[in-house]
Amino acid sequence: MSGDVPLLSMRGITKRFQAVEALVDVDLDVHAHEIVALVGDNGAGKSTLAKMISGVMAPDTGLIEIDGEQVTIPSATAARALGIATVFQDLALCENLDVTSNLFLGRELRSGPARDDGRMELIARQVLRDLNSRIPSVRSPLSTLSKGQRQSVAIARTLIGSPRLVVLDEPTASLSVGHTAEVLVHIERLRDLGLGVLLISHNMNDVRAVADRIVVLRHGRNNGEFDAATVSHEVILAAITGATASEVESGPLSTLLRR
Amino acid sequence: MTTDTNLAPAAPPGSQPRVPLSQRMQGLGGNARQYGIFGALVVIVLLFQVLTDGKLLLANNVAALFQQNAYVMILAIGMVMVIVAGHIDLSVGSVVAFVGGIVAVTMRDFDMPWVVAILIGLAVGGVVGAWQGFWVAYVGIPAFIVTLAGMLVFRGLALVIVGETVAGLPSQFIAISKGSLPNFLGFANNMDVVTLLIGALAIVAIVVSQLRARSSLRKHELYVEPMGAFVAKLVLVAIGIGILTVILSFSAGGTPIVLVIVGVLVVAYTFLMGRTVFGRHIYAIGGNRLAAGLSGVNTRRVDFWIFVNMGLLAGAAAIVTTARAGAAIAAAGQNFELDAIAACFIGGAAVTGGIGRISGAIVGALIMGVLNMGLSIMSVDPSWQMAIKGLVLLLAVAFDLINKRRAGTQ
Repeated sequence: MSGDVPLLSMRGITKRFQAVEALVDVDLDVHAHEIVALVGDNGAGKSTLAKMISGVMAPDTGLIEIDGEQVTIPSATAARALGIATVFQDLALCENLDVTSNLFLGRELRSGPARDDGRMELIARQVLRDLNSRIPSVRSPLSTLSKGQRQSVAIARTLIGSPRLVVLDEPTASLSVGHTAEVLVHIERLRDLGLGVLLISHNMNDVRAVADRIVVLRHGRNNGEFDAATVSHEVILAAITGATASEVESGPLSTLLRR
Repeated sequence: MTTDTNLAPAAPPGSQPRVPLSQRMQGLGGNARQYGIFGALVVIVLLFQVLTDGKLLLANNVAALFQQNAYVMILAIGMVMVIVAGHIDLSVGSVVAFVGGIVAVTMRDFDMPWVVAILIGLAVGGVVGAWQGFWVAYVGIPAFIVTLAGMLVFRGLALVIVGETVAGLPSQFIAISKGSLPNFLGFANNMDVVTLLIGALAIVAIVVSQLRARSSLRKHELYVEPMGAFVAKLVLVAIGIGILTVILSFSAGGTPIVLVIVGVLVVAYTFLMGRTVFGRHIYAIGGNRLAAGLSGVNTRRVDFWIFVNMGLLAGAAAIVTTARAGAAIAAAGQNFELDAIAACFIGGAAVTGGIGRISGAIVGALIMGVLNMGLSIMSVDPSWQMAIKGLVLLLAVAFDLINKRRAGTQ
């Protein structure tokens, strides 16, 4: 991990929805040049944590630090100003607009009173080329693209405005194997470009393929942190489900490992 | 525009990449809808030209067509923005009566100059829009409800202000709707030279802007339509405007003042919707409100200003309507909201939001106007006129839907 001060540091994050404790005293660090996978079962609080980073939701208590400085992230715009870009699980794209418009939505370049469509298209093509993505034309409306292509657009969007931290909420859910591989390559590109990446995923194969560090949430609490290079499948599954590693190996969960 | 100055072509010119067929079709599909509405307008005009024994396109009738329908076009401009954003505005007819009353009273009872009255009218329209925009954008009440309430509120207020007809308005004010540009350049073969000049300028402006747009597309290595189709389109447009210009130049007054007003508004709002960030955000909100919000679009502010703008244009429509009637009456603007909404949907706006164009709404308004005028010349009973217009609206939207579905299943 590079540097002593993490890019993003969250301490003691707690969030309640009426009687439900979504997150309790959760800690999380993400450094630059690092892909951190946030894993956990359904309802473990992964998406809630992501929403706090991207300014959609505020924690009840807890500290968020960017580069060691305490911040509050009251809105998506504030998150962006801090260099945080998010790809939301339910694709936050406008199907009626073309690729360029979606990439620059909310931060259009201007030239006098008009938009600078020419420059935006140039950058759009540049960014898509950087990601090696296969989009036929930056003027294609989103409604004409495949799901995988849309996800490429969503990820490419994070690169507009040079962010430092990218949060990806289940980027490969509902994608075909081919498209998933493509998206994983995009994610590694993000790290190679020097960004910190927080990858939220269900899919252990994806996580192990690209992550440097794996953080497990269970019932809204931290339940282990592992070096992705050395940890075994069994140990992660055990942390996610709360079973012991040996139970995982021999019990019904072992079938999951063979996927 | 300085849009393109800092761009170097990324590939040597002449190495135009081959465009896949699917993409070409897609480009055509996008424009086909637009050409379709224009085609429908031309067909309807020709149909009534025949049915009315050539009376439809008599010079004075064409001038009257614009004078009678200016209010629909002005309202449709605002309405298409409201509809693209996924809202609706049912109150514009009542707002027209309300603002019309205020404008008339300002001139007659407070002896204000007509220019001041117009400014007050526009301002009141804007305030009315801000009122409705506040409830829609910041309180979150659906626009249907807010403007339904507005329909009642402002009709009521119009009745309060205009107890009885407010007539005796200054002639300069009335000229806004009934007058024409002065023929200060004289006549050539009975044709008003001012009108001919405006027509020629319009053609030149359109050709130049289209050429610039095309060269910019080329510069960015984007797909451009074949030269033949491009030229054909421009020639058709030039012929269309040319014919209209010549006909108008023979009319009693030349160019109606309202036509100039509508023309300026169309150009300004086409720019606003097509080329500005605000316009893009309107389409984004209509396409996916949640996504737009998450992307940092201030959806509330956009909603608010859409309604302020609608109020402003309703104010403009009120001025045109009052000037045309020569008086303010409390019943003015009856069903105007329906005319404007119909124009938008005939012009290709989507009920679900996200799709719709200013040019489409204007053509939609003209289709309704030509129907009105043609049927009136044929002295069709007004009740039947209404029924026919209703069916045209239904068929236009049905045709659109069927087309879309067929495109979807291919």
